Amino acid sequence: MFTSTLRKRIPRILNVRFSSSVEPPPAGGHLPSVATSQLLRSTRDTALRTPDLVWVDEGSSETSESLVGGRETRKMNTYQAVRDAMSVALTKDDDAVVFGEDVAFGGVFRCTMGLAEEFGRERVFNTPLTEQGLVGFGIGLAMMGHTAIAEIQFADYIFPAFDQLVNEAAKIRYRSGGQYNCGKLTVRTPTMSVGHGGLYHSQSPEGFFMGVSGLKVVIPRSPIQAKGLLLASIRDPNPVVFMEPKVLYRSAVEQVPIDDYTLPLSRAEILVPGSDLTLLSWGTPLYHCETALHMLSSPAPTLEPHIPTSLRTAKIELIDLRTILPWDVDTVVESVKRTGRLVVVHEAGMTAGAGAEICAEVQKRCFLKLNAPVRRVTGWDTPAGLQFEKFIMPDAIRVLDAIVETLSY
Amino acid sequence: MLRRLIAASCSKFPLAYRGLATATTPQVSGLSGARLPNSQSYITPKLHFFNSVTPDGQQIPTYRVLDGVGKVLEGAKEPEIDEVYARRLYEHMQLLPALDTVLYNVQRQGKISFYMTAFGEEATIIGAAAGLKDDDEVLGQYREMGVLLWRGFTIDNVMNQCFGNEEDFCGKGRQMPVHLGSVDHHFHTISSTLGTQIPHAAGVGFALRRDPARRGKNVAACFFGEGAASEGDFHAGLLLASTIPCPTVFIARNNGFAISTPSTEQYYGDGIASRGPGYGIDTVRVDGNDVLAVMSAVGEARRRAAEQGRAVLVECMSYRVGHHSTSDDSFAYRDRAEVEDWKKVDNPIVRFRLYLELKGWWDSTAEQELKTRLRADVMKAFKRAESLPRAEVSEIFTDVYGGEMPWNLKEQRAELAYLLKKYGNTWEPWKTELSRFRNKGEELMKEAK
Repeated sequence: MFTSTLRKRIPRILNVRFSSSVEPPPAGGHLPSVATSQLLRSTRDTALRTPDLVWVDEGSSETSESLVGGRETRKMNTYQAVRDAMSVALTKDDDAVVFGEDVAFGGVFRCTMGLAEEFGRERVFNTPLTEQGLVGFGIGLAMMGHTAIAEIQFADYIFPAFDQLVNEAAKIRYRSGGQYNCGKLTVRTPTMSVGHGGLYHSQSPEGFFMGVSGLKVVIPRSPIQAKGLLLASIRDPNPVVFMEPKVLYRSAVEQVPIDDYTLPLSRAEILVPGSDLTLLSWGTPLYHCETALHMLSSPAPTLEPHIPTSLRTAKIELIDLRTILPWDVDTVVESVKRTGRLVVVHEAGMTAGAGAEICAEVQKRCFLKLNAPVRRVTGWDTPAGLQFEKFIMPDAIRVLDAIVETLSY
Repeated sequence: MLRRLIAASCSKFPLAYRGLATATTPQVSGLSGARLPNSQSYITPKLHFFNSVTPDGQQIPTYRVLDGVGKVLEGAKEPEIDEVYARRLYEHMQLLPALDTVLYNVQRQGKISFYMTAFGEEATIIGAAAGLKDDDEVLGQYREMGVLLWRGFTIDNVMNQCFGNEEDFCGKGRQMPVHLGSVDHHFHTISSTLGTQIPHAAGVGFALRRDPARRGKNVAACFFGEGAASEGDFHAGLLLASTIPCPTVFIARNNGFAISTPSTEQYYGDGIASRGPGYGIDTVRVDGNDVLAVMSAVGEARRRAAEQGRAVLVECMSYRVGHHSTSDDSFAYRDRAEVEDWKKVDNPIVRFRLYLELKGWWDSTAEQELKTRLRADVMKAFKRAESLPRAEVSEIFTDVYGGEMPWNLKEQRAELAYLLKKYGNTWEPWKTELSRFRNKGEELMKEAK
């Protein structure tokens, strides 16, 4: 049982935390486009009309298209939406527990703020500093039918748990002939660059998990997406690695429905429809893509020489993949068949990154429709050198350049 | 962002005092009262290093009930078992070599792909099984088939799994032989990855503690060898089970070898038991060749774990008499004579048989009858399992995901169906192989476009 000694630890830990520079960068500090992004839904009405949204109420199966009246929303950033999702999960499922390193005081990114106080230390608790251990622990819980929501503090530190995720979590159902499974395991982890994360607070390891059949890998782009996709991940009958772009924790703000709802896994979302080129990404770089689209249609004077006038009216289709594994091949292929061109953007390095898999499949299915080589805009095949981040991570100018090159091929 | 640094400073806060292990600290008169925030340790002006968990510097003692000739040791408490129960213990100890001998030879004949015997560890495995309740959740390594047999898992079930035939419900023929598992017998499916089950066991224990129907009644029991205890997952599992805490009984089978590596090259400390106190875990070392000692120790361990909701560690000392597996010739790294000697000097089955004979519960007639019966049972199950076809070929693609099958698996299933239709009756390697499966792949070929 948890002792009173443990509870007494909280205020002292809080002091340590808040006196240190563990906070994410200021909103918009490193990603100016997020604050004004049109991808975010800033009104109640648009939030309630989020595509694919399914309300989860007792005895109700309405979609967002019906039953929006009476629904409320609240302004939340991404970490608040993640917290809200876990609060819903804990409220509705007595077998759900949340654990990880430093989650009890609220988490180093505040995603579990107040959950321990609200649900008790038996359900929201710290683990020792051992990633292989805490994921293994979650697998054990899930094998007993309990809902295990584990946190790896940074995606960079998921590798000690790689064996548990790849050899264990992903294969338990298969190897036991369906007798056992750990489908109720969800591993949340902050991912992608943050402006100054260096080698070990910046990584995007989704590609390493893309070949791990039996796992699902999900990455949201915004608060509404984070809540709906996280609740869907928690309830999915398979183990899910849920990667939260950490630069968006505070910078991305939306009106988020306060009721219980889910968004579907393995379904991409077309954010901006278009007919000339398909631009595919997930997580943080979607905002760079959005900026690049603005720059394409109305370039600043300094950029005008690089963007032929004829291309400025090009209609670019922007797609958020959302689920990396199993990914939505139908939506992507249908789009590329219409546009004839594809640019994939991700932060992870190019070689054997998730983009490689997608481009190979699209090339196979769209060979006769392609008007230009499929192209990847990614981080270089280097670690994320601290002072070099601006030149390593794909940003709006690199996305813009790839669009222009692909359109003019 | 400086996570590691922050985390390090976090660990300086005091943990709940558990009143364990401090008794082994040499008493040094010093500045009592002055303490550091992260320990209950006394301050001392004397520079003193230590390297033992026992106060006198000796190794941790080994608990034993029966001596080498089956007599109860002076001062030892004899477990209260009647003749029926004692015979059941003995019969299950004898069942292991009966199965092992046949399946080992069957592998040598190429009829199954792989096998691992439990020779020399019969008392450890059956004693532990008897010390547990039949509905305690067991997470094993791979040499613990006896636990399943103790719980009523049939010889047919064992054979079906080893042959991977259509009646193999443990894994539908997907896993290598001896990778057993059964929800009905509360025995989690074995995987080859060493040590991974150890943190699982902490989570399973925690789930039992959270379940009102099983809290205080059941424990998780986790088996592993002394070699697996070198994996990081051992550290993680014991650490989690002690800090969170979880009613989990960790049972180390220290049989002296991890394949070819002797335990002297596996660790330098006092075995696995010495590590328990470092994690704040109640620990005992037991003679793994003494079925009554193992049964008593595991029984008491599970009682403590269930009542306190905390982890307990049991180290069972034995000797791996057999080869590591059918892929191993252990005489490449140890003398045949050493093994033969050990079988004579301290054989767990013989030791318990002598005990039974002293009690008047066993004799050579009973011995002969048992061996004949077990051999007949095993051979019957072997012949039956050998004759059964494998599951349907299409089971390749099921159970990868729960819920709807993803598009990539659907497409790959269709592609295999197409290829089977195209080549399955003409490409000899496939044709021969298909004949071993139920429906011979026709369920797929019928779907082929």
